[in-house]
Amino acid sequence: MDKLERLLNLTAALLHADRPLTADDLRERVGGYPDAKPSFRRTFERDKDDLRSMGMPLRVEAVPGSNPPIDGYRLNRDEYAGAELHFEPDELAALHLATNLVQVDGDDTALVRLGAAGGSPPEEQLGHVPFSATLATLIGAAADRRAVTFTYRGAERTVEPWRLSFSRGHWYLDGWDRTRSAERLYRVDRLESDVSLAGEALEPIGSVADPLDLRGWELGDGPAIEATVRIDPDQAAYARHILGDVALAEDGSVTASLQVRNIDAFRSFALSFLEHAEVIGPPELRVDFVSWLEAQA
Amino acid sequence: MSGKLNARDRLARLLSVIPWVAQQPDGALIDDIVDRYAYPRAQLLDDLQDIVFFVGVHPFTPDSLIEVELSEDRVHIRYAEWFSRPLRLSVEDGARLLTAGRSVLPLTENDKPDENAASPLLRALTKLGTALGEGASEAVHVRLGNAPADTLGQLREAIGDRRQIELEYYAYGRDELTKRRVDPARLFSDQGNWYLGGWCHRAAGERVFRVDRVRSVTITSEPVEHAGPVVDTSFSPSGDDPRVVLRLEREARWVIEQYPVEFVDDVGDHLMVTMAVTAAPWLERLLLRLGSAVEVVSIDSPLDRDLCRRAATRILRRYR
Repeated sequence: MDKLERLLNLTAALLHADRPLTADDLRERVGGYPDAKPSFRRTFERDKDDLRSMGMPLRVEAVPGSNPPIDGYRLNRDEYAGAELHFEPDELAALHLATNLVQVDGDDTALVRLGAAGGSPPEEQLGHVPFSATLATLIGAAADRRAVTFTYRGAERTVEPWRLSFSRGHWYLDGWDRTRSAERLYRVDRLESDVSLAGEALEPIGSVADPLDLRGWELGDGPAIEATVRIDPDQAAYARHILGDVALAEDGSVTASLQVRNIDAFRSFALSFLEHAEVIGPPELRVDFVSWLEAQA
Repeated sequence: MSGKLNARDRLARLLSVIPWVAQQPDGALIDDIVDRYAYPRAQLLDDLQDIVFFVGVHPFTPDSLIEVELSEDRVHIRYAEWFSRPLRLSVEDGARLLTAGRSVLPLTENDKPDENAASPLLRALTKLGTALGEGASEAVHVRLGNAPADTLGQLREAIGDRRQIELEYYAYGRDELTKRRVDPARLFSDQGNWYLGGWCHRAAGERVFRVDRVRSVTITSEPVEHAGPVVDTSFSPSGDDPRVVLRLEREARWVIEQYPVEFVDDVGDHLMVTMAVTAAPWLERLLLRLGSAVEVVSIDSPLDRDLCRRAATRILRRYR
């Protein structure tokens, strides 16, 4: 029997089941499995992995009355189908166009499953966005209001993800750090462990500054220091592109207030203007900046 | 999509194809399935005849099998009650689609003259979000680049109309504001920045500009002289550029990921890297930023080892 036929029959059997079915039940009901027990087990395990990897919510429960307990399997039809998702033709076309314009890493099976694979030929791609299973888990947790655990800067954290932002080539996680009872930002590519789901989120979603505007000096654990930097007129346009819509002074210069949690990153930012910018305050940041330069002068 | 699909790819398709066809009272056109589900025609016909036809549940008597009726250009599917609804999108599929949609939303919103009606993309993303959870509308933000929407709009317009533009452009590496006339060819995003590729009249060659360093754009009435795609040449040192050899402490390892490095030698507790220096201010910034984590081992003329010290002194003048 063809593998595809076996997988379809297995899916049908699991959806049809009114009680959990054991591996042996399934071997009998599905057909197409090898006779020898070890090779049956191997094939059956692979089939389960295939179904799970497609997102099937395969339930594993003890078969009622079995002692010692035996694993039984089934698919709940409502869990299998999820919420009804119906797209109009123009909505499918818009999703199709979006995936043509932007290359997101990974398989593009979603469009195929929605029946939106056909349509206009690919246009010129505008860009590429990195994507990973970790990111998918975090986005799923933020959408479904679940907490997650992971290791970051050597410490285990329990975080309620609020939003994932892609900016300047990196993904950031913005959320509520339960251990620190505070909102925190994390670089997703610097997570030091896998992400596990950890129950329901409890804090309401916070509304901070646009997370797309977050900058390196805002990423840190300590309290924020408010720094003032003045940038000369000839660099003002560039500074405003980085800092957002900060006001221009009459002479065309920019004076910006920054929330600094990471002094190294702040110093690097100020140095990127060379002699066209000045750290005005507070005194401790100005002193740090000057002594950093004096060490090199 | 060409080539043959494997069993998993076909399963993913059939779990959507079967319910879709079963819902059509008059069956579905084969060509429609091929197109919507990117299912190679020959494989689809084989799978419908030789596989789906035999799918069912124990004891596989005729009444417990799916019924497939295939005519020349149409297929009917009946009695597929286990597959009456498609498999839901996985979280990963949903998150990926949401990401792609969110990426282009700012661009498509700009095209829309009527601001009251939600665009098809926005409607689709809202539905998709509902399926993923109540927090989905805020869950993903994507900015492909950090450039003002009006600048991007002007550039897209000029590319579409095939007009020459005048740019005021800040050359970061050289730390100077320049004026250029450009035949714009292509707008693209890479690593979180927008770039404009085109023919630069001043340089008489193809150039790539970072859009966030464009200070102003003026669209002229003159048509472009050089058309055609521009390859990605965001950084291409020439053989004549002076080279610098740096000794980096381990904490400065990120440099090799973020800067174009020609050679890296991993020597136990530190790294030796060779880089082409296209312009001095660029190297000044890097050295100042790294401080004691870097040492200049050698540097080609006309640059010299004192470059960083002089830059530090220049900046310090502002603080005295």
